Amino acid sequence: MDTVIAPRDERTQPARIVPGYPQTPWRNPKEPLVRRAPTLSELTGPLEVARRVKLLGGDIAGHGEKQAIGQLMHLKVRVMDEDGEPVGGAVVEIWQCNAAGRYIHPNDDDHAPVDANFYGAARVVTDESGAFELRTVKPGAYPVPTKDGWWRPPHIHFSLFGRVWLQRLVTQMYFPGEPLNGQDRILNAVPDAQARERLVARMVSATGNPANALVFEHQIVLRGRKATPGQP
Amino acid sequence: MIPTGEATIGPFFPPRYVDAGANDLTKFDGRAAVGEAIEILGCVRQEDGAALENLVVEIWQADAKGIYRHPADPRQRAADANFLGWGRAATDQAGNYRFRTMLPGAPAGRARHVNFMVMFSGLMRILKTTMYFPGADANDADPVLAAVPAARRALLVARQESPGKYRFDLKLRGEHETPFFDD
Repeated sequence: MDTVIAPRDERTQPARIVPGYPQTPWRNPKEPLVRRAPTLSELTGPLEVARRVKLLGGDIAGHGEKQAIGQLMHLKVRVMDEDGEPVGGAVVEIWQCNAAGRYIHPNDDDHAPVDANFYGAARVVTDESGAFELRTVKPGAYPVPTKDGWWRPPHIHFSLFGRVWLQRLVTQMYFPGEPLNGQDRILNAVPDAQARERLVARMVSATGNPANALVFEHQIVLRGRKATPGQP
Repeated sequence: MIPTGEATIGPFFPPRYVDAGANDLTKFDGRAAVGEAIEILGCVRQEDGAALENLVVEIWQADAKGIYRHPADPRQRAADANFLGWGRAATDQAGNYRFRTMLPGAPAGRARHVNFMVMFSGLMRILKTTMYFPGADANDADPVLAAVPAARRALLVARQESPGKYRFDLKLRGEHETPFFDD
């Protein structure tokens, strides 16, 4: 088999039941999770998702007279495996709220304004170097309807398809220096401080390229490494 | 490199990402896959029994001959060209998901099965499980099913409601909780 998947260090992954996140105690298994040795079934996976779903491109900030309101930003992401090898050809789904903290979704009944020029969904494929880019506006913060003062800091959601089933990843990316980062219940569900830092993008900015946009870089590491030739 | 931390898919996964037809694996690029077309459906509930709407379910499986459309499968060249093996569905107001797919063949060393994953608000991690088919003798020898405590194995076996129609309900927590895998 091409890919080896080892268990992760639990401290680098979020707790399943999160204090102050009221849905988590109802939905996460009570029974111990079952440890299994991966077989071919879990060490294969869909490589042609892009032929089943519609790609939406990586430019969601709008153009001409239909430009989204907000801080224009450009995000450069590299997707790699645990060996640092690029994961090319991976479908990446991206979604975020607008600059005022509002999602275009039936579940979002917040009072923050909708931006007619911003839907907030991009779907792209990584190139051979594992890279993809997103042109967007920086998402706003928004209150979670727990009514106890929990606000989500600005963040962008990612769903990624690796090369095998067990590499599938759903994650969120945060922004550096945001005062709400330190109290966000989802970000801080990851126990290890360094692992949390790796969820925060790096601002590289002020290069003037592209013009008028803050530039951020980010890395996403999928589980797994290539099997050594001759080894199982 | 240390794998990136997971996070919940949250309540705002764009509805347009559940593309029309993404839950129908019986055709690929308009051409019909080989084998017996079946339906897999089920209801997803949380601990208090409430049905969960807008939850995302994905499946991955072998084709009718038990071959995966992937280079790690030594039999890949013989895979059905018209079978992708992957699908996505979202649950409706009553918590129901539904796939049309092909009855998978038994891959080498395994009983016939379908891999499931569940993503939802309140799930900080993807939940992964495996569905088996009723009455398959090979179930007893399947190494993944054997890893599940014996008393809970039946919860991973779908119920045949009618010919070609299989029910696989998912209970995320509590009574009759579906076994999920630690991976």
